[in-house]
Amino acid sequence: MKILDKKHLITVIKNWAERYRVISPVRTSHNETIFDIFDENTFTLDYTKPSMPPKSLYLPQSETIFTVENGEYTPVTSRIKSLLFGIRACDMTAILQSKSFMNGEVADLFYNSHSDNTITVVMACAGPQNDTCFCTTTKSGPYAKKGYDLQFYDVGESFLVAIGSETGTELSNIEGFSDIDDADALNKIQSFQKEAEQSIERIPEFTPAMDRLSNGGIRDEFWERFGNKCIVCGGCTFVCPTCTCFNVADRPTAPGKGDRLRTWDACLYGGFTKEASGHNPRSSQGIRLKRRHEHKLLYYTDRDTHGGLCTCVGCGRCSDYCPVHIGTIEVVKAIAGE
Amino acid sequence: MTNSINEVEDADLFFVTGTNTTAQHPLIGSRMINAVERGAKLILVDPREIQLAKFAHLHLRQNIGTDVAVLNGIMNIIIEEDLYDRDFVENRTEGFQELKAVVSRYSPNVVEQISGIRSKDLIEAARMFAAADKAMILYAMGITQHVTGTDNVKSCANLAMLTGNIGRPSTGVNPLRGQNNVQGACDMGALPVVYTGYQKVVDAAIKDKFEDAWGIEGLDDKPGLTITSMMSEAQKGSLKALYIMGENPMMSDPDSTHIELALSNLDLLIVQDIFLSETASLADIVLPAASFAEKSGTYTNTERRVQLSHKAVDPPGQARADWEIVQDICRLCGYPMNYKSPADILDEINRVTPSYAGITLERIEKEFGLQWPCPNQEHPGTAYLHKDQFTKGLGTFLPCEFKPLAEVPDQEYDFILTTGRVYFQYHTGTMTRRISLLEREAPEAVVEINPEDAKRLGIKTNDRVELSSRRGTIRLKAEVTDRVPKKVVFSTFHYIESPVNLLTNPAHDPVAGIPEYKGCAVRIRRCA
Amino acid sequence: MKKTSAICPFCGCGCNFYLVSEDDRVTGVEPSPNNPVNKGMLCTKGWNSYEFIHSPDRLTTPLVRKNGKLTVSTWDEALGIVSARLKEIMAQHGPSALAFLSSAKVSNEENYIFQKMARAVFKTNNVDHCARL
Repeated sequence: MKILDKKHLITVIKNWAERYRVISPVRTSHNETIFDIFDENTFTLDYTKPSMPPKSLYLPQSETIFTVENGEYTPVTSRIKSLLFGIRACDMTAILQSKSFMNGEVADLFYNSHSDNTITVVMACAGPQNDTCFCTTTKSGPYAKKGYDLQFYDVGESFLVAIGSETGTELSNIEGFSDIDDADALNKIQSFQKEAEQSIERIPEFTPAMDRLSNGGIRDEFWERFGNKCIVCGGCTFVCPTCTCFNVADRPTAPGKGDRLRTWDACLYGGFTKEASGHNPRSSQGIRLKRRHEHKLLYYTDRDTHGGLCTCVGCGRCSDYCPVHIGTIEVVKAIAGE
Repeated sequence: MTNSINEVEDADLFFVTGTNTTAQHPLIGSRMINAVERGAKLILVDPREIQLAKFAHLHLRQNIGTDVAVLNGIMNIIIEEDLYDRDFVENRTEGFQELKAVVSRYSPNVVEQISGIRSKDLIEAARMFAAADKAMILYAMGITQHVTGTDNVKSCANLAMLTGNIGRPSTGVNPLRGQNNVQGACDMGALPVVYTGYQKVVDAAIKDKFEDAWGIEGLDDKPGLTITSMMSEAQKGSLKALYIMGENPMMSDPDSTHIELALSNLDLLIVQDIFLSETASLADIVLPAASFAEKSGTYTNTERRVQLSHKAVDPPGQARADWEIVQDICRLCGYPMNYKSPADILDEINRVTPSYAGITLERIEKEFGLQWPCPNQEHPGTAYLHKDQFTKGLGTFLPCEFKPLAEVPDQEYDFILTTGRVYFQYHTGTMTRRISLLEREAPEAVVEINPEDAKRLGIKTNDRVELSSRRGTIRLKAEVTDRVPKKVVFSTFHYIESPVNLLTNPAHDPVAGIPEYKGCAVRIRRCA
Repeated sequence: MKKTSAICPFCGCGCNFYLVSEDDRVTGVEPSPNNPVNKGMLCTKGWNSYEFIHSPDRLTTPLVRKNGKLTVSTWDEALGIVSARLKEIMAQHGPSALAFLSSAKVSNEENYIFQKMARAVFKTNNVDHCARL
């Protein structure tokens, strides 16, 4: 374990920035905080849960994955080395899940080219970042249990820094970090973790709702009620740190030349499951919402990468940003109340 | 909009007509749904059963083109039952007696005859509307794209004034603008009758002011041609040259055959665009422009909020920002311009436009835009208009009589075609049809037809059908759905493969010049 | 990667987002979380609004019609023809023979400079845009 005085933080990040593209919280001219390229002048530690997960660093919203010229295919992979500073535990957990998913039967070359080149520095949460945080329910926060290269615990004047990998050791072997391994530091981290966990409310309806779903007790009319008001923006999937579905489109770019673009897709769009015949097995918006929530709450629970509860990591963004309040929290509560 | 988007969240009642809000302004539609779930009332007046119909307390499916009658009918009941806002009418308006005289002719029975809306529903709607403390009227092209568009808008304003629903938060007359900068284009004087901020070209003092500001003499003091008149003047041969920046009238204007004739008749057609649109293909000169992502500038949204957009990437190839191209042409034509950036132009806009005077770059770099009128640097902007008094003092009731569609169905053309957009495409499709996911969701034109009509004509969903008007014929897929009422078909103008504006009627509103896209006579039959 | 604050190019809501770009390509969008219009949300068109920017169909050079066909040209040639022809038609037929269609899809500054061109340079109020359509 290491300790880093806050006054050395900028120097440390600048040091990292010489080797990596550092993505960190920054304040914009409109005074909102987003994750962008580190800039000493706009960098801020005064941030909560970023509105978007760091997913686009691993799976860009769109990217050319190969080009073709006169029948020759050339894959396009990334070599950019990035360091993500200050991500939250829920997002770290989601990265682990996606990594595992993208390396199932077939390894996703393009995803891995990003993932293998991305370093993660987690900022453990001292408490809920807003009123939709429920990582303690899904067992995916408020601090990361694994996967990180470094994890920072804010203990006032300084950060206690847990090292999660060899890269983490290297990253913290620079000026500014000092060794600290005494019992006092460990105690501090444990009490930080305990307090943080206790401060984030659990959603008691969550597990009963999962049970209801797995018993098949939810009628389609329940989902149609939500389907009636869904405006099909796809936002819930785009802001979800664990949604990785994509579409591909092949495009001619010049005579004899073309490329394949892959873009984020959303299972809430009708065309997602529409078959060539015109038949759509998920024929209504209600059924699409049902499948989405089954994916988050029911399926893939066996694909355990993090000791969590389900595929949802409790970040609460779908509840923050669904224009008509069909977030996981609202759905889970409605299921439990059925 | 007289009011603001966020105020939608707090209204007690919505009167929604001629806007498919969840599809065309989804983040305003969603706010309405949330408000209804919290207890607000929704009266929907629309012939089609759009998504909002599921949330409507009353869905009045009027015969197409009968909006004035419906609105007059509602006002008549409100006056008859003494439910109007007497205080507001007495202190803030004039012409009430004239209004009363006109609307008194629109009894529920008369309106039922004209519009097909049952008296009982009309009465309920009137009472519901009058009972609301904060009622918001929201409309879009369903109201304006009629030969009676101006009358329709006046009637909406009459209803708002009669019930005192203007000049307060979460009330007002709220047109939802369909393009990202249609409000700004109007504000900037891209209209034949006004300079920026609606300063009239016929006003001698205004003319002097602009001659001073621009360092020239001899500004035109007569109203110019509207887009619809430009096309007819071109066809007649009196208009010789047309310079089109970022528009596609071949797809967007009514009666495309006539438009093509008009454009082909010009001596010079210049088209500046980001794609080789259907219109650009006819041009003598095509100038490649930068897209929104490749330049900086301000845009004014439907709630009058002027917002800054920044350049993210360089334009492709030799494409350049529209302002740079225009500036070069002005210079070459002997009028020197030396704007170094859009910021310099905004600075000039601030100086010559009273309502934009306080909307400076410095401020909107820090704030999320400012809503005009914003007359000086200290002014916070205006969330809602007509507080305490109207711009002109008292608000004048402008009563209107019902007039039918310009082209009503007959034996030969026995259906009414009404047109609009689908959620996944935008305008003439030049941008959205080049977005793979959106194109996947809505890849081709569809005509909606009612199940009863479809059965009679032997049409099933996905059948190819032929749709004809007096002006042309297109072929497209049918969707059998009770979203549309009997004897009405609906389609969209996004698709070059089935360009619906071959069929539409160029008859237009005499004041606003808006064509009647929302109703023309057609016939439909299954393709052999 | 870079994030640039911008306004959605589609409907009149005017949603704020960041264009996410990698080198000279916009790869996606990220809604602005705090602005009063969209508060971190977008509709389906907004979420997918980036792809057309880099369409292979984009116009990249001026085109001039020669022998009936649109032909690749240069800015010098194209703007030379535009200015010469506009001046010529104005001289022959007067300002009312010229008309200018502006755009509901370009910025305020561009609408301003376009109507200024029509009025100050070509002395005509024949300027409109497709607000009606």
